[in-house]
Amino acid sequence: MRVLIIDPDEARAALVAEGLRHVRPLEVKRVGSFEEIEADLERLAPDVIVIACESPDRDTLESLREATEGNPRPVVMFVDRSSPGLAEAAVEAGVAAYVVDGLSARRVRSVLEVAMSRFELMQKLRADLDKAKADLASRKAIERAKGLLMKDRGMDEDQAYRLLRKLAMDTGRPLGAVAADLLTFAGVLKGDKA
Amino acid sequence: MSLEQADLRLGFIALNDCAPLVVAKEKGFFENEGLNVDLSREASWANVRDKVSMGALDGAHMLGPMPLAVSLGVCGECTPMVTPLSLNLNGSAITVSNALARAMRELDPEGMAERPRSAGPLKALIEARRKAGAPLLTFAVVFPFSVHNYELRYWVAEAGIDPDRDLRIVVTPPPRMAARLASGEIDGFCVSAPWNALSVAQGHGEIMIYASEVWRGGPDKVFGVTEAWARRRPQTLNAMLRALLKAGAWADEPGNRGELAGLLSSPSYVDAPYDVVASSLVGSPSYAPSEPGPDSLDYIIYHRYAASFPWRSHAVWFLTQMLRWGQIDPSIDIAAAAEAVYRPDLYRAAAAELGAPAPLVDEKVEGLHVAPWVLDEATAPIAMASDLFFDGRSFDAAQPGRYAAGFEIGRLTPESGLGA
Repeated sequence: MRVLIIDPDEARAALVAEGLRHVRPLEVKRVGSFEEIEADLERLAPDVIVIACESPDRDTLESLREATEGNPRPVVMFVDRSSPGLAEAAVEAGVAAYVVDGLSARRVRSVLEVAMSRFELMQKLRADLDKAKADLASRKAIERAKGLLMKDRGMDEDQAYRLLRKLAMDTGRPLGAVAADLLTFAGVLKGDKA
Repeated sequence: MSLEQADLRLGFIALNDCAPLVVAKEKGFFENEGLNVDLSREASWANVRDKVSMGALDGAHMLGPMPLAVSLGVCGECTPMVTPLSLNLNGSAITVSNALARAMRELDPEGMAERPRSAGPLKALIEARRKAGAPLLTFAVVFPFSVHNYELRYWVAEAGIDPDRDLRIVVTPPPRMAARLASGEIDGFCVSAPWNALSVAQGHGEIMIYASEVWRGGPDKVFGVTEAWARRRPQTLNAMLRALLKAGAWADEPGNRGELAGLLSSPSYVDAPYDVVASSLVGSPSYAPSEPGPDSLDYIIYHRYAASFPWRSHAVWFLTQMLRWGQIDPSIDIAAAAEAVYRPDLYRAAAAELGAPAPLVDEKVEGLHVAPWVLDEATAPIAMASDLFFDGRSFDAAQPGRYAAGFEIGRLTPESGLGA
């Protein structure tokens, strides 16, 4: 079975390809857009095309439904009626699959399931990374705000921290946001450009 | 009356015809109806279809033929859909590359001087290329089930060009059309505003004909939801339609078209230069840099001439084109399909709450009115515009099979049993 992955997100496509190594026998090719492969499609003759929903190429794939001279293998969207909810889950995960008409649903499903799990994994990895970055920025702001209070108000570290925490509780906002505000306003009061 | 659901997610594609959704959101018409709407820009029509079918979107800006094709099971997973409102009339055009326009002009200067322009010069060029052994010309449309596909096919076939034999028709997303024309990957395209104007502005293409010249006041995009969604949330749908009706009226006010261009050109919507978006709204786009378009707001129509009414005759016309080009089986019951999907009753219910005039008939004969006319079969008389086709044909929704089989070029054979 030959699988073509179309995904502008290179890292994610690599993750899907890696996951598909265990679904044998398999030949995997990945590209960023359909245009890269269009001229070569006949030679490549993929049995399954896995495509990221955010790719604009889905409409082009839909137009390959009819067998023509240039495209002897009609492509249809994969919907497995024996697995209720599978199509919904795929849309939710942001991935769609197109198959050469007549391919066994069981074999395609394993490919789609790998793609879905890798798309979800990538989303989780990205979310974790964003959160880690935000946590780090927030910790830095708190450290700097404490330093400012210690220097300008003559507090010790514990007092500075407790003041920040009280401000956060009084305003119902996260500690990092209160610290960032304090730093901004301190800058304004000192005559920095707002 | 209480809304079954106040938080909604609606999809759209980056085109000037998504305006009623954008206006309803940005000018507070959704909010006034108690709706909190999140607009989601989608990368493809296939995404719009699947997300609406599967409930990831509550409703969306759709190609007119799409809810019909999805309901008939010929496009994606078969899902009953409804079209309770049209978003606009006209708005698209057919553009060819400068090189193609030049070659057409050399072969047929008289034909290229005509307006509306027939595809006669293109026919002459195709014949010349065939004799010279040149490859087929490639034209792009936005989706197999789109008014653009039917408009291009209608225009070329009138001149004796068989779109399936004499051309190569491919599908390209609207925002990529201009770049693919510039790079020479395609020779021409049919797409909605503002993408024709972009090719002309960039100096890579010439507009051959507007949709408003192929068929004055012809249908284009619609608002679509699934039938199940509509059935379970009648109040929410009514509120949405009220907001979209008001938004369409706002978008069609001549004084608002400039502001509309500003709203639409933003990166979160159409994401194109203001001048390019505006040229298809405050007037008609230039055919070529040296040939300005007519000073008319009818290049795209959102509200006037009962534009937002879901005419069943529009549905039937789309279905006749699916028949003509072999997309659906001739045994399909055209009238039943149109009746199930196009829902003027839902439109009238929303219009009645607003006290807005609504047609009392579900169909109209197209191609008969040379001049502006008045629709009296309405809750209040509605000013209508000419509805001529450029080839002088007329269309009666009562005779869909005869109409579809009545074209010299098409995929219907005498055995289809429709010509009688």
